[in-house]
Amino acid sequence: MGDIESENQNIENKIKELARNLLREKEVDVIIGYKKGTVPLSSSPVFITREEDVDKLLWNNLCYVNLANYLAPRIPTLYDEEGQKLKVGIVAKGCVGRALIHLAVENQINLENIKMIGISCNGIINRKRIEKEIGEKEILETSILGNNIIVKGRDFEKTFPFDEYMNELCKVCKVKSPPNVVDSCVGECLENPVIEDDFNDISDFESKTSEEKWAYIKDTLSACTRCYACREVCPMCYCNLCFVDQNKPIWFGKTTDFTDIFAFHFNRAMHLAGRCVACGACSSVCPMGIDLNIITRKLEKIVKERYNFTSGMDKETLPPMMSFSMDDNQEFMLEED
Amino acid sequence: MEVMILMKDQVAKLYDELSGEYNFFAPVKEKGYVAYRKISNPKEIELNYFNSKIPPKEILFPQMEVLFEFKTDGKNVIEIEDRKDLDEKNILFGIRPCDAHSFDLLEKFFAFGDFQDEIFLKKRENSLIIGIGCNSPKSTCFCTSVEGHPFQKDDMDIFLVDLGDKYLVEGISDKGNNLIQQLSWLSKASKADTIKAKELAKKAEDLITTKLDLTNTSQILESNFGNEIWKEVSENCLGCGSCTFLCPTCTCFDVIDENDQYENRGRRIRIWDTCQFCLYTLHTSGHNPRDNNIERCRNRILHKFSYYPLNYDLIGCVGCGRCIQVCPVNNDLRTIINKINNIKPKEEENVSV
Amino acid sequence: MSNPYIPMLTTVKNIVSENKVNDIKTLELEFKKEEDYNKFNYIPGQFAEISLIGKGECPIGIASSPTEEGSIQFTIKKMGTVTSEFQNCNIGDVVGVRGPFGNGWPIEEMKGKDIVVIGGGFAFSTLRSLVIYLLNEKHRKDYKKITVIYGNRDSGEVLYRNVLEEWKKYDDIEVVLTIDREEEEWKEKVGFVAPIVKEVGPSSNNAVAVVCGPPIMIKTTIAVLEDLNFNDEQILNSLEMRMKCGIGKCGRCNIGNKFVCIDGPVFSLAELKKLPNEY
Repeated sequence: MGDIESENQNIENKIKELARNLLREKEVDVIIGYKKGTVPLSSSPVFITREEDVDKLLWNNLCYVNLANYLAPRIPTLYDEEGQKLKVGIVAKGCVGRALIHLAVENQINLENIKMIGISCNGIINRKRIEKEIGEKEILETSILGNNIIVKGRDFEKTFPFDEYMNELCKVCKVKSPPNVVDSCVGECLENPVIEDDFNDISDFESKTSEEKWAYIKDTLSACTRCYACREVCPMCYCNLCFVDQNKPIWFGKTTDFTDIFAFHFNRAMHLAGRCVACGACSSVCPMGIDLNIITRKLEKIVKERYNFTSGMDKETLPPMMSFSMDDNQEFMLEED
Repeated sequence: MEVMILMKDQVAKLYDELSGEYNFFAPVKEKGYVAYRKISNPKEIELNYFNSKIPPKEILFPQMEVLFEFKTDGKNVIEIEDRKDLDEKNILFGIRPCDAHSFDLLEKFFAFGDFQDEIFLKKRENSLIIGIGCNSPKSTCFCTSVEGHPFQKDDMDIFLVDLGDKYLVEGISDKGNNLIQQLSWLSKASKADTIKAKELAKKAEDLITTKLDLTNTSQILESNFGNEIWKEVSENCLGCGSCTFLCPTCTCFDVIDENDQYENRGRRIRIWDTCQFCLYTLHTSGHNPRDNNIERCRNRILHKFSYYPLNYDLIGCVGCGRCIQVCPVNNDLRTIINKINNIKPKEEENVSV
Repeated sequence: MSNPYIPMLTTVKNIVSENKVNDIKTLELEFKKEEDYNKFNYIPGQFAEISLIGKGECPIGIASSPTEEGSIQFTIKKMGTVTSEFQNCNIGDVVGVRGPFGNGWPIEEMKGKDIVVIGGGFAFSTLRSLVIYLLNEKHRKDYKKITVIYGNRDSGEVLYRNVLEEWKKYDDIEVVLTIDREEEEWKEKVGFVAPIVKEVGPSSNNAVAVVCGPPIMIKTTIAVLEDLNFNDEQILNSLEMRMKCGIGKCGRCNIGNKFVCIDGPVFSLAELKKLPNEY
């Protein structure tokens, strides 16, 4: 395990260099990346159109927003005056790349207009866990020193080992750089990746009894305020009319009754089966600190076991929930002998 | 009225004495953050905190609230039942000055005009705020920029100052003074106590690092509706509801009818809604007056810093800093206000966005 | 102080299908309690939040005039969930009513003036209320010449046919009906509203023009009125907005710092020009 601090410096330099080149050669009209956050433990997605602004770009293990999200919904920033889509360069850690490829498979974006500035992501800090452990003391500054996260406040300083305090998803991540598909990736890319994922991160939860699992789910989800930050930050949630917002008919309620909260999160998770790229943005942005990834990881595991499919790895394979083949596993249907 | 002392280990006694008459809401620790909840055991009270995650507006204006209930005969309504709990008395304990001020803003808003929101106003009338000064404001706090102060007490009924092992207790309103008289076992504060409280107030004010100059912001906003700055400011906004749901002064809501056909009854409820959602202003015809992110982001800022001053002569922000801390893409209100303040004055632009 | 969200209960007394395709119905409602009826004092141009309790609530302009005593009327077109439910109402059903809300047409300021009423399509309901009010013998002398110009896509869409026929019998009101395209049985005018307004050429001298209809009709008609020298104060509009509470609390109907449910829905063109373009 190398020195996180120096890795970050290298990654950041590479991002800036590649971004500068892409803008200079007019291969892209806009670069989407991350800039420094104005509060500790944060970063802020930024849209750069001028070479002189490239120095704003950074990489610091707090880049938790999945930037692919900005390409799927309609945003005026990404269209020129004639309504033509702009050519976009996007700072891509592995899960961002996976999201872009999966969106292309679902015909939401055209990879020809996109250049992924590939980086080898070294993990995202679990900001909710750190905030919880610091408790009611204000964090004023965070930094990476060697392999540790240093958290400073007005009258305290605490050190967290990076390996321990990164997102649980990042600990088991097998796709640290974007898969290279249709030559859309510059920088660090994965060529012909093969994924072996044993889903160790959820074995603890899986071993609980049904009652324990239900108690856990009920306890975590009841804090939900229906702000939909999880839905808005997710690159795969791009429906013009989300199922919870439909009123002809009303499928599920929008209240904070637990039945409604449960219905929203579990149905959303089902809609993500075979599509979630495990970027962890939903958990990172939830204002109430709910860890939503437990549910989606379990669904990912089922999809992998049933259909041997991992989303966002190549442009050809159709996602199992959107296609049907005659030799699909159908043991869940009540069939003859 | 004399200033008294409440020892920290007497808070349980305070609870025991008041909980019979009042619903006692206090800060409790919950899942890694602090929330205001109705407590049944004084041990639940958390005295070491900055502020709650969700503002205490949720005590009197909850996320989900029944407007009325009804019974049907299977087809038509036969009876409507009004709320019966609005006369219950509430104590809101441990409210910070910014949130206490938000109750003043909420009250003015819900009482404004020809129609008053009785549901909120009745609850407010029956509530007593025991607020507490902020000894250590956060770096994202800016109450002093919006006519507030970490030790502001005008919007409270009783004001507490944390002196370490005890609280200084000061009655502010008649309601508050009457309650203090009821609590005859409170000891009197010494001169040293009041001096220490004053020192803490000054210290707290010095700790506020975020200063925004809002003197001209309202006017600048009025004449820059079509300025291109809104595109820049809303670029990375996701359109979720985090900033508005966690804002002490946001009050927008949606109204939903719920019908239990099997039991022949139902209710009409309201739930929090936000101008940041794309469906908020969508007409049934399909027309949407604010159909893109730029317009929605602009509406929130204008609402707080332009429409509130125009309509109610108040700034619609209390400087609590929650929106700054919670925004998923770190769209910082302070940066936005500074950008607006720096707009170069020019001819009014009527560029439609 | 009472709970402003609790509706008054009314029963459906009569249902009239207003158009050929049967998706616009006028409901006549009677208050269950007399004190509610006595409290419901409205002027033309106001609206109420009506609901099938359990299904939903929507803001509808009051189509009846306060001079039509005993009941109130609403004309509802099938558009979304709640308005579709209203199409299936039967006589005797219970409808919740909250109101009256909004500022209404400025009937006081309109006194002593010529009134030009221009409507397009199904937006005519509050104009029906206004004209019946103006024609009522108690008020007629307060107003001068009344001109009504009402356009529709086709003859099947013309609302309030018997009421329009009644108006034609008066000699102090000019009623001009028009449809977009020629039809065999149609004896009135043919053409879009704006050119017909130009043809009728109402005088702008001491006059007020009241315009209600789809956005394109409003835009073209205003252009014609401006050519006829109507100034911005003389042209009145009734706006539509998505509403939930109707009393300025839920927040969603704002245009700038004004709420359409309390500062409107009637705005003069002068007021609209001062507001940002978000409606």
